[in-house]
Amino acid sequence: MRRSLSLITLLLIVSALPLTASQFIEQPFDQVAREASLIVRGTVTNTWSAWDDSHEVIFTYATVNVNRYFGESTGPDTLIVREVGGTVDGYTQEAIGFPAIRSGEDVVLMLAKWDDSADYRIHAYNQGKYLVKKSGPDIILIEDPVKQGDARVGGAEKGPRTNAVASTPAGLRLEEFAQMVDDARAARHIDTGKRQ
Amino acid sequence: MRKQTILSIALSAIFVIAAAEPVMAYTLLSPRRRWATTPITVRVYNVGNSTITDGDGGVTAVVGAIRAWGIISSSTTSSAAVRGTAPATIMLNTNGGGLCTGGCLAATLTGYYTTQTGDDRIYDADVYTNTAQPLYSSRESGCSGEYDIDGIMTHEVGHVIGLGHSSVAGATMYPSVSACNTSPRSLATDDINGKNDLY
Repeated sequence: MRRSLSLITLLLIVSALPLTASQFIEQPFDQVAREASLIVRGTVTNTWSAWDDSHEVIFTYATVNVNRYFGESTGPDTLIVREVGGTVDGYTQEAIGFPAIRSGEDVVLMLAKWDDSADYRIHAYNQGKYLVKKSGPDIILIEDPVKQGDARVGGAEKGPRTNAVASTPAGLRLEEFAQMVDDARAARHIDTGKRQ
Repeated sequence: MRKQTILSIALSAIFVIAAAEPVMAYTLLSPRRRWATTPITVRVYNVGNSTITDGDGGVTAVVGAIRAWGIISSSTTSSAAVRGTAPATIMLNTNGGGLCTGGCLAATLTGYYTTQTGDDRIYDADVYTNTAQPLYSSRESGCSGEYDIDGIMTHEVGHVIGLGHSSVAGATMYPSVSACNTSPRSLATDDINGKNDLY
């Protein structure tokens, strides 16, 4: 009976968590995993922002020290990932709801190349970025709860406090994720359900 | 014993729901930011979206739809968006150079200067549309697996004015939308509360 109660409680917690997706159409996990050129785990060691050549868009570049490639993909020890948004000389550009990439993060990224360059970007927006956390003996992956335009968790907030959502969704074990990637890349049909 | 168990489950359920229910509804972009003055000028580029078959690719529909916010002065323009430069411009005919593709319906790119005195000031915001997604407008009849451009752009203009997402299902600023759902066209009380918090 105690076990049933725990299960009910867990179910209620999970079902009451707010959605943190943006106005995106949710893609099946196996599609995202198949479309990604590279799937890596690594640490973001450095970020910097700069305007593009036409001075219209600020991009943030991140150096990712890779310590694992998933699926059949492989590549260099260091990758540069370029995402829209950043701050230059006090002016900040953000693509609201898009993934942000920050120095010091331990991440799993699904990456694809920008249409017009050889640079990598996070594939499928927030579905292509996970934060890596320790949970007891397990290493788990969680969706990054802080997208562009959201409050920084634990960060100092200037002016009136905003009430941005900063939930911590239930995690996915790293090895479970690796298996799902292998399955998806092998084009075997798996029903992962819809990530929320 | 059985009654006690049921009571215990019920109490646990009430406690958990109360604890997990977000106390907030609308959110503001962080750091808090707003335009210096209202009404906020938003232009809709007069080259419409090719999947919208209402005569002008959704341009007229969007110009009207975004006025729902009450603080928007909208019109068409023959000038494409220049990112980083006002006025706010909605582009229905381009994904912004690969900015909004795949599962992205529309994307708002907003720019602001950090101030030392309080609210940050929004300087520019431009909206881009995924031209590969099937879209329709309020000036068309019927819907078959398409996404409503009026609602999508009313939502994006919520970001333009400084709002984040809402946890209230049915609010325009709710983060997800399904095909043929037109409810985001109409602001919910929660959306209006968010706007009134800023302006």
